[in-house]
Amino acid sequence: MISISHLAKKFAVENPKKLSEQEKKDPRLKGKFFHSVKDVSFTCDKGEVLGLLGPNGAGKTTTLRMLSTALKPDGGEIVLEGVNVVRDPLLARKKIGFLSGSTGLYGKLTGRENITYFGQLHGMQLQAIQQKINELADTLDLHSFLDRRCANYSTGMKQRIAIARTVVHEPKVVILDEPTTGLDIMATQTVLNFIRGLKNQGVPVIFSTHHLAEVDELCDRVSVINHGLTEFDDTIAAFRELAPQSLHQAFLHTLKQDVSSCG
Amino acid sequence: MWLVFLKEIKELVRDKKTLFFMIALPMIVFPLIIGGVAWFSGKALQEAQTKTLSYSIVGAERAPQIAEQLNTENGFEAITMSADTDFKGWIKSEQADFVIVIPENYGENPLQTGQIKIQVYLNDANLNMVESRLNKIVDDIAEQNQQRAFEALELNASQQQALIEPIVLEKVDIADKRESIGHKIGGFIPYFIFILCLQGAMIPATDLGAGEKERGTLETLLISPIERHKLVLGKFITIGFAGVVSALVTVASMAIWGIVLSQGMAIELVAEFMGSISIIDFILMFLMLVPVVAIFAAVLLSLSIYARTFKEAQGYMTPLVMVVIVPVVLSMLPGVELKGGWAWVPLTNVALAIRELIKGTMDYMQLVAIFGSTAIIAGILLGFCVYWFNKEKVLFR
Repeated sequence: MISISHLAKKFAVENPKKLSEQEKKDPRLKGKFFHSVKDVSFTCDKGEVLGLLGPNGAGKTTTLRMLSTALKPDGGEIVLEGVNVVRDPLLARKKIGFLSGSTGLYGKLTGRENITYFGQLHGMQLQAIQQKINELADTLDLHSFLDRRCANYSTGMKQRIAIARTVVHEPKVVILDEPTTGLDIMATQTVLNFIRGLKNQGVPVIFSTHHLAEVDELCDRVSVINHGLTEFDDTIAAFRELAPQSLHQAFLHTLKQDVSSCG
Repeated sequence: MWLVFLKEIKELVRDKKTLFFMIALPMIVFPLIIGGVAWFSGKALQEAQTKTLSYSIVGAERAPQIAEQLNTENGFEAITMSADTDFKGWIKSEQADFVIVIPENYGENPLQTGQIKIQVYLNDANLNMVESRLNKIVDDIAEQNQQRAFEALELNASQQQALIEPIVLEKVDIADKRESIGHKIGGFIPYFIFILCLQGAMIPATDLGAGEKERGTLETLLISPIERHKLVLGKFITIGFAGVVSALVTVASMAIWGIVLSQGMAIELVAEFMGSISIIDFILMFLMLVPVVAIFAAVLLSLSIYARTFKEAQGYMTPLVMVVIVPVVLSMLPGVELKGGWAWVPLTNVALAIRELIKGTMDYMQLVAIFGSTAIIAGILLGFCVYWFNKEKVLFR
């Protein structure tokens, strides 16, 4: 179980003159600071999958980076199974599996070595890592390329290895930042099946996405962020009720926009 | 920490490009280039030496001996030139390689003629051996004339010598061979080694900081439950290790190739010189490099992690080579010696100490200052590196 409340993060703007017109109009820009995330709250229970939605630049990635302890929030709280993530990041990191949107692999190492390295960084024994890799290779279908160097992998192969690396230490919560972006249909399905597998094991999963079909297929809860604020946070059923015709309508409804306004 | 180190080394060893720059370049490519240049220039010289030179003599009738010698000597070819030819244009249009003009006062008795000046017209811009080849012929004749003059004056051998060179300065060097050679080459060796260490450390440094950022692996690494200072240390040791290894490889290859190429020419001198430096001095030189490399590694890693991309990192690092020259140049200035304040100036003191060790005149007490100041600076820089690795502004630029 992970709960976050009133999360806030601002970044210093080094040169306000360099910002684009659109960025200057953003209400989050105040003086020398850009308040990327102002007030974000949501919870995700055991066995639940939470879909994090929002337009580009809404603050999704910043929120997830704070969850993963890569960034330190300026305000608010993150509690993961009783551990205060902000105050005790080192302990929290052992319980979190995070896949960043712009993740990469070490091209000179094989897929197995990549996963092993991060397993070791998490303090795992080599034998336990090998066992876990074999297990993950079955579910994520990695066998055909696991022992080849990553530099020559396709996008789908890279993403599957990256996911295996994310969960090698059996985290208590898994956070995925746009895990299916840029993947083909088969690889996307593998990723979605994997998330379903985690859900069945009772591991809470938080993932951000722009594909509402994935939300429809997997999520128990939906959270919508816009301009750094939580605009919606409830069950998928409540989300559907906003606009029974389609999820796209429901999403736009949370942003207080009409479909027609999108041209 | 060692986990990070081992993984970075593994990646480094698998990177053919890095290995090429660190090992193949100094061991094979550079000696090949230098050797190639030496071979070609040697060949060109030899060609100039044996090439047949065409010539004309103005006033040959005044110096039949010289004309005769040139005629019989191999590699010279006489060309007849009409009396009114402009011989500058004649040479320019490549009709002859050189023209010599015998002066009016030419004769065989220097006591009567005074000094004789024979003019040689030639195009001296190109590589040629005209002067040295002519000298060989003229010197013989000049010496014969000289001998005849001495005999006419009835001088004995010692008087002859005194006339040729009335006063001679004889240098008695009290510095032993090691000290004088050491002082000459001891200024350049630290410069060489510093630059090599820096260059060797630069390639992995770019990869370990900016490279991780560019490939998107940094974020994942930062959120793994390893303490930040251990992560920094692992990377720092990798960079330092690469710097030392590449410097050692280069120095060793220079030594080996030097021995191979010189083939017994000056080899005795080199061997004697190397032999006079004790093992302890060599070890001390190496030990002093460790904090120096630590300084380099900390600076490089800080720059690398600040940079957004590979390119940016290389842009930041290239000027460092120029910066490193400054303390080494300082150490070469006259009056700068390894004592007092200078012993505490980082890099300069190590450069001075390496020179002293090579010369064999090291004041071992100064080691305290050298190790002290270098280690303190390396420590501060490393501390800054750890601080830098904790700044969100640096990591997520």
